[in-house]
Amino acid sequence: MAQSGSDRRRITGPEESRAPVFDDEDSVPWRIGEPRRGRGAKDIRPIFLKAGLISQANGSAYIETQRTKIACAVYGPRQSKSSAYSENGKLNVDVKFAPFSCPVRRAPLRDAEDRSVSVLMHQALVSAVRLELFPKAVIDIFVVVIECDGLDSCIASGTVACSTALANAGIEMLGLVMSCAAISVGDDIWLDPTGEEAENAVGSVILACMPALSTVTSVRQVGSMPPATAMQAMDICQERCTDIHQVVAQALLASTKNSE
Amino acid sequence: MATVSLSKAEVAYIKTSLEATPPLRSDGRGLYDYRTIALETGVAPLANGSAHLKFGQASEQATEGTEVIAAARLEVEDVESGEGVNGGRISCTVSCSPSAYPHSSAAAIEDIQHDYTALLHEVISHPSLRPSNLSILRDLKSWLLNLDILVLSDAGNIYDALFVAAQAALWDTKVPRTRTVEYSAATSKARVALGGSGDMDVDSVEQSGFNVRDVKTAADFELEDYWDEGEPLRGGDAWPVCVTLNLYPPLYYLDATSTEEVATPSRLLVMYSFPADQPPRLQGMRLLGPSEIGLPLIKTLTQTAQTYATDLSCALRAKLKDEDLRRTEKARQRFASVR
Repeated sequence: MAQSGSDRRRITGPEESRAPVFDDEDSVPWRIGEPRRGRGAKDIRPIFLKAGLISQANGSAYIETQRTKIACAVYGPRQSKSSAYSENGKLNVDVKFAPFSCPVRRAPLRDAEDRSVSVLMHQALVSAVRLELFPKAVIDIFVVVIECDGLDSCIASGTVACSTALANAGIEMLGLVMSCAAISVGDDIWLDPTGEEAENAVGSVILACMPALSTVTSVRQVGSMPPATAMQAMDICQERCTDIHQVVAQALLASTKNSE
Repeated sequence: MATVSLSKAEVAYIKTSLEATPPLRSDGRGLYDYRTIALETGVAPLANGSAHLKFGQASEQATEGTEVIAAARLEVEDVESGEGVNGGRISCTVSCSPSAYPHSSAAAIEDIQHDYTALLHEVISHPSLRPSNLSILRDLKSWLLNLDILVLSDAGNIYDALFVAAQAALWDTKVPRTRTVEYSAATSKARVALGGSGDMDVDSVEQSGFNVRDVKTAADFELEDYWDEGEPLRGGDAWPVCVTLNLYPPLYYLDATSTEEVATPSRLLVMYSFPADQPPRLQGMRLLGPSEIGLPLIKTLTQTAQTYATDLSCALRAKLKDEDLRRTEKARQRFASVR
């Protein structure tokens, strides 16, 4: 996509830009050993979730966890553009970061990091969707990250939004996929890290699972962690996913009641 | 990833033979056996460190193998104005030769190499693994280590190959020695000593740790003129190895060939690092492919992967030390005997 060079209709922003730093901002850095600021170690940020807000899509969802805001739309199942026959349906996940979503401006057309994020979301969702029911068809999921606070939790929230949107579109799934991120800081494990907190992390885990079937669909761990800590983090994530499942179920129920 | 396409019958054939007792694989290996691994370091003379790796060497049964070349190049980066960070950084790139994926389109190959790059980069260049000698001048200059891996052919188990090749190339990497250059206003005494000219002074190695102000004054650096290529990249014992468990839950097997890979779409990648005198650490984990497995199974798989990772890591260390010997002492002996 980027080969077109520059798009003349677009206002070219500066080469790079950063969020301003204000004088009165609390500048005392967090140190190892201190408790987590603002919430408990195992707490996640409150979730606002609304299904079905993009009317032209078959299904959609908007999720907001404090400073992470993601909109997600599902189109399909519709006919695949390629002529090749495929026995199973295809699931496409396309993630786009808004240029203003992160502290450092993201160029509109370049999509280097977007693909790795979409791959992770695809991995989390693909085993839940019953693709064998849609031969030759394709399901497109478009995710727009409007604001991103912590990439790991952004991926987790995005996954939750996607599965809500899939359910909203009435696509058959084996279960709703929930996802939760955790980081290891000092001896502690913190759930749903913000971008600032993630800077102190030595390792991070993103777990996606289907609480209804208690199966795991995706695990991604990076950084240095003793194996036992990583396992513990996964356990905690799975536990928290059950709580997120409640939130999603409620949001879906509310959207069906509205449409009646 | 799908370099070969298999019919349903072929997939079922591979699956049932893997599940049979005793399990059968087309090349006669056991479920937990690796193919032979050939490794050579120092293959690219222009790189700071390099390695050539082959899984499944050309033999009677296996004519094809997974072949990978890794090379590390060092570059100086500006910390103040450029992208550099204090302490240096590592950037990994994987490029796939089109001949490795003859059945894939150019766009598909691009996606594949992007995925490999993302996975390798997030594990290898994580700050927890950063070598301690990539810094040149604090707040001014640092090394950027570009680790480029070229996939020449892919006959399965590419992830393990990538990580082994990466480790070998990093092990082989020598960081050029540098010393700081600073400008100091010569005092009148020094001016006399220097004969009134020359206000450039090259600082010596022994610098007082207490003299904090002096650290800042270093303005530039120069390369030391020395007989060898530099000191080895530190942190060489912490580079992780990757073990790919190909899953037919609860059954799993190691080192899949490309046909087996197509028949087994789901796999668990576990990266372990074994730093000296420390307990093993998990450096990465990834579940790939359409798979739903329970968390307890993931835990047992991760634990069993540790034993395979230990074996692989020990063998690799031994081979790398052997390679070092081959290129230094044995080469010297051979040279001496010829003379």
